[in-house]
Amino acid sequence: MNRIAMQSPSFIYHIRQYLFAFAVIAAITAIFFALREVLDITLVALLYLIPLGVITAFWGLGLGITSALLSFLLLNYFFIKPYYTLAVHRPTDIVILAVFFIVAVVISQLVGRMQAGLAAATAREREATQLYQLSTVLVGLHDDRSIAQILAVQVQAVSQGECVELSIKGTHPFTFRLPEMDAPARAAELIVPIQAARGVLGEIKLWKTESAISLAEKRLFQTFASQGALALERGWLVEAESRAKVLEESDHLKSILLSSVSHELRTPLSTIKAAASSLRGHEVSWDSPARSELIAAIDEEADHLNMLVGNLLDMSRIESGALKPKREWNILSEIVGSVLVRMRHLVEAHQLEVDVPDSLPLVPVDYVQMEQVFTNLVSNSVKYAPEKTVVRVRAFVEGESIHVLVGNQGPQVPQEHLDRIFDKFYRVTAADRVTGTGLGLSICKGIIEAHGGRIWAENVHDGLVFNFIVPLMWEGMPPQQLPIDTEIE
Amino acid sequence: MSNAPHILVIDDEPQIQRAIRTILTEKGFKVTTASRGEEGLTLAAVNEPDLVILDLGLPDMDGVEVCTRLREWTQCPIIILSVRDSEHDKVAALDKGADDYLTKPFGIEELLARVRVALRHSMNAQGTQSKVVKAGLLTIDLAWHIVKRGDEEIKLTGTEYKLLSYIASNHRRVLTHQSILIHVWGPADADHTEYLRVYMRQLRKKLEADPERPQIILTEPGIGYRFIADE
Repeated sequence: MNRIAMQSPSFIYHIRQYLFAFAVIAAITAIFFALREVLDITLVALLYLIPLGVITAFWGLGLGITSALLSFLLLNYFFIKPYYTLAVHRPTDIVILAVFFIVAVVISQLVGRMQAGLAAATAREREATQLYQLSTVLVGLHDDRSIAQILAVQVQAVSQGECVELSIKGTHPFTFRLPEMDAPARAAELIVPIQAARGVLGEIKLWKTESAISLAEKRLFQTFASQGALALERGWLVEAESRAKVLEESDHLKSILLSSVSHELRTPLSTIKAAASSLRGHEVSWDSPARSELIAAIDEEADHLNMLVGNLLDMSRIESGALKPKREWNILSEIVGSVLVRMRHLVEAHQLEVDVPDSLPLVPVDYVQMEQVFTNLVSNSVKYAPEKTVVRVRAFVEGESIHVLVGNQGPQVPQEHLDRIFDKFYRVTAADRVTGTGLGLSICKGIIEAHGGRIWAENVHDGLVFNFIVPLMWEGMPPQQLPIDTEIE
Repeated sequence: MSNAPHILVIDDEPQIQRAIRTILTEKGFKVTTASRGEEGLTLAAVNEPDLVILDLGLPDMDGVEVCTRLREWTQCPIIILSVRDSEHDKVAALDKGADDYLTKPFGIEELLARVRVALRHSMNAQGTQSKVVKAGLLTIDLAWHIVKRGDEEIKLTGTEYKLLSYIASNHRRVLTHQSILIHVWGPADADHTEYLRVYMRQLRKKLEADPERPQIILTEPGIGYRFIADE
């Protein structure tokens, strides 16, 4: 039997209960009436107790008592002489009636109490179930918003109230309301604070008109609130812990950066210092070939230093989110061309194969940053691939993106390192074998991602290929049509 | 050497001042230095230099501001110095009237080349403005609207010619995207860099020996274009 449905108060439902109970009593009375001459009065009185018990068991104490009273009157009216009056002449009949009335009321009481106890037990079980459900749902949640949402949904489901509002304090205070409308103008009927060890974290407000909020409900919502407080606190702890981890990690990265950078900076500085001091000290004669060699070394190493510092700046800009591409419609072949012209000395030991047709559509990219991506990918390729091998640069349209490949015939990278080569300071090879800050590829990644694209590396049969895609649409739009131009006659 | 060209260097870093002064003096220029914007403006007014080399990162005022105030009364060439990644400032200074820029660190060769181009222009400006611009085999007659490579005339569309004549007649300057777009297409199209990219590609195909490695119309990444004319 569904107790929850029975508890929902409804006038018509009550009327129907009463009518049904009276019908049962009427039917029983009719049967007894037919057998009035055969049955003894005491037996009739006894038999009346059966429907009374049943009615009380099904519909509660109130109806039981009413039915008992009705049966008492009917017994008196139809079965105790003189018939069809409520007068009683025989003393035994008075005793029978009195006993019947007492027994009927006692039975109703007992059965009714049992029922009430059962109802309370069921309600408690329901509370326990709801609490259990709430706590299981809350266990997996760490952010304030979803915790507040679950809490509000549960309170609303249990209370069936008009409106539930949850406000959470803290660094980012917010309010969550169910249903999502303006709160009623009047003050909330129930306000439960969400109290934790650190203080009040927020409160639950409930507007509920239909009936007053029962004590049991109040108790339940208080338990909900303390469950919510626990979940919120847990969320805060998890967040604090992850923040601590991030800090620790960035601290670790900084120390790697410092050691890597000081090593990288010192190498060209040593060269420059050695070359400049030997030139200054007149140890090298003015016309010796060593002199121009030393000067070239100073020049090259100064460029190298400049590049290192540039990389560091780029990286810190990417980290702080300050790297915002200044997008313009550009011709990819022009960017690739200018990079390769500038890098011609670096790539002359390798064979370059470039397939970036200038018939490709315009790409919405930051010219300078894209140059940087190509510079880093090509210089990475020539750094690791043996001399005289082929370095390929290829670009083509793929759906609504442009796909660029920069491939080399250098050593493959183990599968498990493929993703990580774009991490800062990550090197597959030992750091002292190849120069560089270990930032080039992660700068590429930062730039490509700032353009809304994706970059990855893959092994191919004869080497390694860097891939990246960037969208051809800019704010969902292709480039504007060019104005019509006319030929000079 | 009393009529040696006079160069005013406005830069707050003593090392840079020292290096530039040493080299320029060695090359026969007369050099004055200033380490602050106000000082630079005063020296410019007093000395009327033939060229100003201006650092954009000054302690007392914005280099772009110095540029604007110089342009209020003098047309002497201004070459700006600036660090990498400040394209925005460079573009602002160029739009405010600076002629050229150099990114620190720069080679002295580069500096000297820029100085020579700028000075030649200012000397020319005092005489008559040349109506014919030459760049390698290319001859552009700005008066007669004729473009030739060697003896062969090159046909250009209306917009192509407008574009070429604008950058060629400003060949000693770096022109920003915006300034070209405004002059050739009009202020309404000042943001349509794509027009510029496409037309420059067409122009290079018609004018350059190797359009992939342009020698005449150079791209200044993130800034604009530079037309390299014969000296």
